[in-house]
Amino acid sequence: MSAVAYTLVVFVLLTAVATALFRDVLSAIVVFGAYSLGMAILYTFLLAPDVAMTEAAIGAGVTTILLLLTIARTSRPSSDRIFERVNVPALVVCGAFLVVMLATVLPATEAVGDPEAIAWANPEVTGYYIENTYEDTGVQNAVTAVLAAYRGFDTFGEAVVVFAAGVATLLVLGREVFA
Amino acid sequence: MSYQDTYSESQVILTAVKIIAPFTLTYGLFMTFHGADTPGGSFQGGAIIGVTVLMLAFAFGIEPTREWLRNAVLVGLVAGGVAVFIGVGLAAMALGGNFLEYDRFFEVWGIRQKWGMEAIEIGGIALIVAGVVITLFFATAAGFTPTRTDGRGEDE
Repeated sequence: MSAVAYTLVVFVLLTAVATALFRDVLSAIVVFGAYSLGMAILYTFLLAPDVAMTEAAIGAGVTTILLLLTIARTSRPSSDRIFERVNVPALVVCGAFLVVMLATVLPATEAVGDPEAIAWANPEVTGYYIENTYEDTGVQNAVTAVLAAYRGFDTFGEAVVVFAAGVATLLVLGREVFA
Repeated sequence: MSYQDTYSESQVILTAVKIIAPFTLTYGLFMTFHGADTPGGSFQGGAIIGVTVLMLAFAFGIEPTREWLRNAVLVGLVAGGVAVFIGVGLAAMALGGNFLEYDRFFEVWGIRQKWGMEAIEIGGIALIVAGVVITLFFATAAGFTPTRTDGRGEDE
């Protein structure tokens, strides 16, 4: 990873902490949008453009707008303090947990793009998709082929879940706002 | 026809959205129609198309946009997307294959597998995602009228 990618990691970590600490909800939402944008750019550095586009459109765009609309309809308590008070014992426990987890997981993590990584160690599945996508389906984007053809039934389930969530929201909110 | 809810005083938002909206809509459509061969796809493209409508609503007022895109139209889009997805899947079964087995379309009708996938991507997932994003936005925003600096809109 380049220096730009490491800068992005620092940016994402800082905005994540700031989101948790800001006392004003509006500030937290704006910083959270910046966090999502940083994650989206980071995903492109990790060679996952499909995920990056989803994060940019849904995470930075739609989620921010929906959260802004939600707090626009609530009251904003004014306060002199900018940041939340930190609970020190909880911070120590969580920090120790984080250090232990990172010390356990990071040494076992492969470098980005390592051809010997575990993700490639299952050639029956991943290798099959990469080698046969174009012959089997005629499309060049293997991600689309997996989503729409090889795992089409799973995608159908996901689409129906999105549909059901939308309809349920309309039914719940519809009684109050569209009456 | 004039609406109380239009952000007529914000020239910055209005001008910016007027310039950006055609490009985002084109980008969303490109991503939807070109997702089979380039990064992206109908989920991302549908989300960007939905966000374009959200931008228009921010600039031109939420209520006028909601009257323009009625709830029935949006629910029809989402339900139509699910129907197209189910339809393609069941059509493959009707031709003697499994659910969404695109090979059957090629063997029976000579339609290449790619077009079956494009059908569920463009006619199914993109419609569902765009419709749900817009629906959620309007459901959250309905009845919400921002307070004007000169006091208009407070009693609505």
